[in-house]
Amino acid sequence: MATIKRVEIQYRGIFQKNLAKYIGSDIVLIASRMGQTGFSNGRYSDSPERNGIPCKYFAFVSPDLDEEELEAECGAKLDIDEANISVVLDDTMVKGVEPWAWHGIRPINEKLIEGGTMLVVSRRQPEELLKWVERKPFSWNLAILSGDASFAGLWVNKDDLTRERVLGALAAIDPALISIEAVEGYLRDKTHDERRVQAARAAYDEVRGKQRPVAAGEGIRWPYAIPELPKWNQFREGIVVQAVPRHFEIGPNGQSRNEQFKRFTTRTQRPVVRFDLCTKCQLCWYDCPDECFDPTPDGLYDVNYEYCVGCGRCAEVCPVEECIVMVDELEFEDNKSPWEHYKRDKAGYIAWAEQKKGNRRVWYPFVTGTGMEYREGRRMAEGERKAVHRPDIARSAQAQGVVVEEPVPTGPGD
Amino acid sequence: MTATQPVTVYETEELLTGCQAVAHGVRLADVDVISAYPIRPYTEVMDQISKLIADGQFDAEYIIADSEHSQFEIVKHASSVGARAFAGSSGTGWAYGFEALVVTATDRLPVLFLVGNRALDDPGAFGVEHNDALAVRDMGWLLFWVTTPQEALEHVLLGYRIAEDPRVRMPCALAMDGAFLTHSQHIVRIPSPEAVKRFLPPYNLGDRVLHPDNPISIAPQANEDWVMELRRQNWEAARRARTVILEAYREFNAIFGERYPTPFFDEYMTDDAEVVLIGMGTVAAPGRTAVRRLRKQGHKVGYVNLRWFRPFPTVELRACLSRFQAVGVIDRDFAHGSPDDGGALLHEIRSCLYPARNRPAVVNFITGLGGRDVPIADAIKMFEITQQAAKADHLDGFVTWIGVRE
Repeated sequence: MATIKRVEIQYRGIFQKNLAKYIGSDIVLIASRMGQTGFSNGRYSDSPERNGIPCKYFAFVSPDLDEEELEAECGAKLDIDEANISVVLDDTMVKGVEPWAWHGIRPINEKLIEGGTMLVVSRRQPEELLKWVERKPFSWNLAILSGDASFAGLWVNKDDLTRERVLGALAAIDPALISIEAVEGYLRDKTHDERRVQAARAAYDEVRGKQRPVAAGEGIRWPYAIPELPKWNQFREGIVVQAVPRHFEIGPNGQSRNEQFKRFTTRTQRPVVRFDLCTKCQLCWYDCPDECFDPTPDGLYDVNYEYCVGCGRCAEVCPVEECIVMVDELEFEDNKSPWEHYKRDKAGYIAWAEQKKGNRRVWYPFVTGTGMEYREGRRMAEGERKAVHRPDIARSAQAQGVVVEEPVPTGPGD
Repeated sequence: MTATQPVTVYETEELLTGCQAVAHGVRLADVDVISAYPIRPYTEVMDQISKLIADGQFDAEYIIADSEHSQFEIVKHASSVGARAFAGSSGTGWAYGFEALVVTATDRLPVLFLVGNRALDDPGAFGVEHNDALAVRDMGWLLFWVTTPQEALEHVLLGYRIAEDPRVRMPCALAMDGAFLTHSQHIVRIPSPEAVKRFLPPYNLGDRVLHPDNPISIAPQANEDWVMELRRQNWEAARRARTVILEAYREFNAIFGERYPTPFFDEYMTDDAEVVLIGMGTVAAPGRTAVRRLRKQGHKVGYVNLRWFRPFPTVELRACLSRFQAVGVIDRDFAHGSPDDGGALLHEIRSCLYPARNRPAVVNFITGLGGRDVPIADAIKMFEITQQAAKADHLDGFVTWIGVRE
């Protein structure tokens, strides 16, 4: 019986595409230095990729199969059959992954085999992740590589050493796949950069022997149904799909939306709204590319978290400081209406929102930079509206009677 | 649809080219939307339709497109909102709109197109060659050839009737030989609108019609998790089309007289024939004339005119052709580098005959390319070669070029 090691790399579409692809290629090249056969590919169905959509890249390694046989076993397939190691490059994906319509929201460890290891890049404790993960009828291992999700743009690679650190962690998990010596030799020969070698070694030391065994039955009962695709004679001819009848009424979930594809597993952060600070300027509602904001009877805008992809556009355009803030998705238990919470218990909601926000504001600089950017947040008292420090939108805030802390610069045209 | 009262079936007689006959067919079918872009020999059809509209004989939306691609897209969309639609083209124009042609088939929209067969192309050749229309043979199209202006007119009606049937709903290509039919005038009996009404029901796309009262999405992104099932649906429609074709011709014959006893192909003097030629389009004229002349000399020969190419009449043609000792397949096309370097029809017919218990010898003639004529003498020559094939124990070559300078 031939040995095949199957590695899947689960990543956020666009933002981590290059990272996942590089890791896949690195595994093949390092394994081949060790005299093994390997190849790497991506899940073709993930293309066209969309920002943040859960995607997969694969690497397959065998010590005794030739390339063609390995290809026949593992290649030209829509998805991986099973994974010895599943790498998760953004920990918010542990809440479930739905790459496209009719696929269903799948558990992050769906393909993991008995005794396999899931390696998650995260700053969380194992228990904080396991409360989202499907229980298995067998035992497996959870390894955590301490770090933030490394996000970049489509045409760039964020060189923040995540790539090298994942290789080091993989060597710690299974030295027969890639050994730390082979990783170091590869990085040294390829880059002549000891910093990279050291990053891999440090990650190796961090992960080695620190895998968290996950017992059979540990985790949750998976709450989402996996759709069954109809047979050829069970759906309409002519590629016709019944449209969602347009429906609109004021209030939470008052707009008709596509029930077949709720895209919230795309999200790494979600917008948290301080309704008491809202000036009802409508910009979030107007700018949201996914029409996730529902107008409410009191003139506010509820967020429908089932459909929010976490793009952050609303937080970007909101003219009021601390009114809409993007917060780590793992902080939240459900997708319930925040406005209903607010109406039920105003003070309680504000306290809850501030607790979720914490005092750190996080940005993912997609194009350049070496990591996430942080800023100290401010806790606003109830109704304490201040304009954000952006001249373009502060002017519009000022026009609406919002207190502006600093004078708004005026352009030559004013 | 039974006739309750007798109506005048054929009203008038006019001298019409193939293209003019199609224009009258379009008028009688009460087509709603026509999109046009010129390329000869098709151009004659758009000219004639616009004249019918200008003369007040016909009322339709007539849209001049900026290219064949737009032209075909326009009728595809018109068809999806419930308009009976017509377009057409020739040669490289047809090829230029190919993307639209493919999606019209997968969207299952029953537009009727005229293909005035034209060589593909270079240097500017505009004579008949069947490769243009044949390009859609594997794409989910209905595809047939007509041989006279009378047939052309009547097949506009038959084409819509078959294509629009809820069991089918496939686009339909009516192919006719450039010049020899598109621009050749014959006396045509023109059916009365009352008779046409009895035969051709109004276009009804049912619950697939795109309308504000019927909010649907047509052709959303479909990947590997859907495409095979979609193809399987298309195949089923093509299978059902065989039944619908037989029904439609039966109905047509009942109203217009026994015009087409055998819908898929016509047999000529084949009852006791030992050897036959089979071809598509106007080559039937020299073919059948050669049969009459050879019969006078005592040769047992016949001619089969194949009308329907898609769906291919597999069972019927297999039963027909396996009665003979040898079959000569006439291709007014060429399938470059294909098995035995033959033509497209050769491969269809050999494949069709392979499971037959009595397999005749099959030879192939490449002829009439790029608009070259096929005279009676050439048809006789093709019969002679086919007769030799019937006798030969061993054949050195299957394919003969007829009419090439050598």
